[in-house]
Amino acid sequence: MSAMISSLFRFNRLIPVVLFLTATVPCVCADVTVSSELSQADIAVGEMAELRVKVSGAQGAEVPQELPVEGLQIRLTGQSTQVQMVNFKVSSSVLYSYAILPLRAGNFIIPSVPVAAGGRQFRTQSLSLQVHERPASAPPASAPSYIPAPQVMPRPGVAQQQVRIPSQSQQPAASGRLAFGEITCPKKTLYSGEVVPVEIRFYFDARYPVQVRGKVDFGSEGVLIERFQDPKESREEIEGMLYNVLTFKTLLSAIKPGSIDIPPAKLESQIQLPGAMPPGFDDPIFRQMMGGQSPFTQTKEVAVKTEPLHLEILPLPKEGRPANFAGAVGQFDIDSSVQNPRPAPGDPVTLSVKIGGKGNFKGMGAPVLTGTDGWRSYPPTDKFEGSDALSLSGVKAFDYTLIAQQPRQSSPGAEFSYFDPFAAKYVTISAKPLPVDASPGNPTNAAAPLSPSTAPVPGVSPVGAGDAKADAGAKEGEPFSVITLHAWKSPIHRAGFLTVTIAMIIITALLAGFLYWRDLEARGGTASSRRRRRLAALWVILNAEGSDAAAIYDAAVEYASLVASPSEKRDSVVASLTERRDLIKYGSGGSKPLAVPEREELMQTLKNLTNLGTLGNLSK
Amino acid sequence: MKRSLHLMTLLLLAVLATLSSLHAGIPEQVATANNDLRSGHPLDALARYRTLLTDTAFLTKEGSPELWYNSGLAEEKTGDAAAASLSFRRALLLDPGFAPAQRQLAVVLGALGLPIPSDWCHGVYAIIHPERLMIIGAVFGWIGTLLFVVLLLNGPRKKGLILISLLLLIAGHGSAIFGALIDPRRTAVDQAVIISKTGPTLRATPSDNGAPAGTIPPGTVISVLSRNGAWWYVAAGPGQTGWISSDTVTSLLPTAPASASGKGS
Repeated sequence: MSAMISSLFRFNRLIPVVLFLTATVPCVCADVTVSSELSQADIAVGEMAELRVKVSGAQGAEVPQELPVEGLQIRLTGQSTQVQMVNFKVSSSVLYSYAILPLRAGNFIIPSVPVAAGGRQFRTQSLSLQVHERPASAPPASAPSYIPAPQVMPRPGVAQQQVRIPSQSQQPAASGRLAFGEITCPKKTLYSGEVVPVEIRFYFDARYPVQVRGKVDFGSEGVLIERFQDPKESREEIEGMLYNVLTFKTLLSAIKPGSIDIPPAKLESQIQLPGAMPPGFDDPIFRQMMGGQSPFTQTKEVAVKTEPLHLEILPLPKEGRPANFAGAVGQFDIDSSVQNPRPAPGDPVTLSVKIGGKGNFKGMGAPVLTGTDGWRSYPPTDKFEGSDALSLSGVKAFDYTLIAQQPRQSSPGAEFSYFDPFAAKYVTISAKPLPVDASPGNPTNAAAPLSPSTAPVPGVSPVGAGDAKADAGAKEGEPFSVITLHAWKSPIHRAGFLTVTIAMIIITALLAGFLYWRDLEARGGTASSRRRRRLAALWVILNAEGSDAAAIYDAAVEYASLVASPSEKRDSVVASLTERRDLIKYGSGGSKPLAVPEREELMQTLKNLTNLGTLGNLSK
Repeated sequence: MKRSLHLMTLLLLAVLATLSSLHAGIPEQVATANNDLRSGHPLDALARYRTLLTDTAFLTKEGSPELWYNSGLAEEKTGDAAAASLSFRRALLLDPGFAPAQRQLAVVLGALGLPIPSDWCHGVYAIIHPERLMIIGAVFGWIGTLLFVVLLLNGPRKKGLILISLLLLIAGHGSAIFGALIDPRRTAVDQAVIISKTGPTLRATPSDNGAPAGTIPPGTVISVLSRNGAWWYVAAGPGQTGWISSDTVTSLLPTAPASASGKGS
């Protein structure tokens, strides 16, 4: 100890610590005092009180975890240590908090609490607590506060409620009653194949937020549990305590005869409990600042369980079992109808046999047709419509497709056998034949050997491209021996088809272009090209040696008219050239060659006209 | 000349030999599987059909509607109606007018409690395969197009002939477009079939803890809107969308992106 102290002295900053330690050491040896107090001496059922046991003059003590009082649950929820320094006199105390949850109304004496501290045994004084009934409309807490309730979230679709919780200064109830489960099964002795509804209820203390984790764990070998329905949420008051209740319903069917112990149904959940106030925060002023709530909570993982379920499964009796019994267990009735009692020759008739009642609809076989002479029948399709949420009751319709092989005036009848677990015997019910007017089709069709699995179905055309294939390959309903290959991709997704399409577009465009060009050529080309060619020809005449003057001026007039766009200058040039041409042509010397100076002047005039920029230089 | 003719003949023979070697032994295997099926051993038959159907020769470019039909019959006899519905649907994808597959599909869908698909398209399928319609339409359409161009741009324009060629063009290409639109293979790449024995739960988020939004019955055809690993966002009907585990579905096209469990074929 002295070595440790000397080493601590090396650090000046630790001097206060040393002073603190030297000051507190004597406290250990000082007088230890023990006291207790209640947060409230008068509370209502459903509210909580706090018992505080204060041990002064010691840094720790041994106290019991629970206090046994009939009608109350008293449980240690936490401890805190306080160190005070007044005028350099240090004192410490430890505070132990107990949560008191009353289970009933009455006057209670809280016994003295045994405390072991400083090597000595102490006892607190006993206290009196009065618990009265809470009025039905009164809130369950003395300082109520509402919190939003995503707390109970069993499954989506369940309505959420606001849950009123008590003041957070109160401590939670004993964990044993925070949540519990119960299971209800109407029968404990079942027959193999019998279906019974099972209800599982999980209760959660309504004052604390709860989060359900996972699904209900329930089942065992030898029984079949249907999928659980979405749970219903409700509230119930049990022994003065308000509980949020999640109710799960399902169907249980026995499979294997014998005794079966199904383990408890279990639901994992998290319950958020109010935590103890840490040291320094546990005073009325702080509570008032926090609006009466404690900001400190603790999460408790709870696996809520029901009791185990014991069942006795009896085998179905062999005596009296009808030949057409196909596993139906329950109580049923039968009805039948014909959808199209007057079909065209060769067309099918649909006989609908409805089995209604309560029992194992999933495990039942189809009714057996009677009086089927002259009929060809096919395995029925079935459809179930439940009349309750669990589908324990309902109607299962079996639709038989029948084709008359001979003229028939009545449909086949139907028989259905089931085991009645209440009467403990087999029952056979039957539906009478119904009037119809059916006749076979042509002899070929009537004699065609159809496989039972190829019942003609209304809505599907019996005639198709595949019929030829059916004839060529195999009898209907039988496997094909000859196989053909078809592409998985549509032509529009195949490169070959796309390539051919693009090639055809190009070929069409080229062909159109070629034909248009040829047509144009046949018509001498476009106006522009024709003018261009004419100008070139005129230019040759103008430059030709030995041409007579009249011919040159003819060419010049035409050239001037073509080479430039209509304008004042062009018109004046054309007019002067025309005048000169007429003079030469109709005067004298029209057949003589043009004089060189005049020719040069003429050419210059035409070049100037060309250089107007309207049609470009034609000399090129 | 003679030499090049010999070379071409050899080349043709080589191509034919390669093609025939691709499908060597298939008729015998089909016959064995069919015998298994007829003699009441559907599981053995199914195993043989699956071996054939997973052959790349039947998966990549072309498939056999008869083989898928046979496989569906075997699955139907083993009690796997959802898988049988997928096989019959694949047979009908390859040949939409395959009447035996239509009937068997109707039977298994009835057993699964699902509605039987019947719309006006089936009437067309019964008359002509969409692919045939598309190709014949395209041929006539292009003949009409070329005639129209020639008559319009070449020689004397005879209005009657131009009108006939225009009608041929419109009818031919119209039929080709119609065939393309009704071809079920056009949209099959985004379709899948629920093949799990129990209908999977549609969930709002791709997680086992996602809020349930209903269940889809086995055998139902769904549209795959997007794929996110082992979870697919699907539409099972108007307003019925959500996430399902890809383990529970198989793409309608065997060559489409397969489910996590590799059930694509």
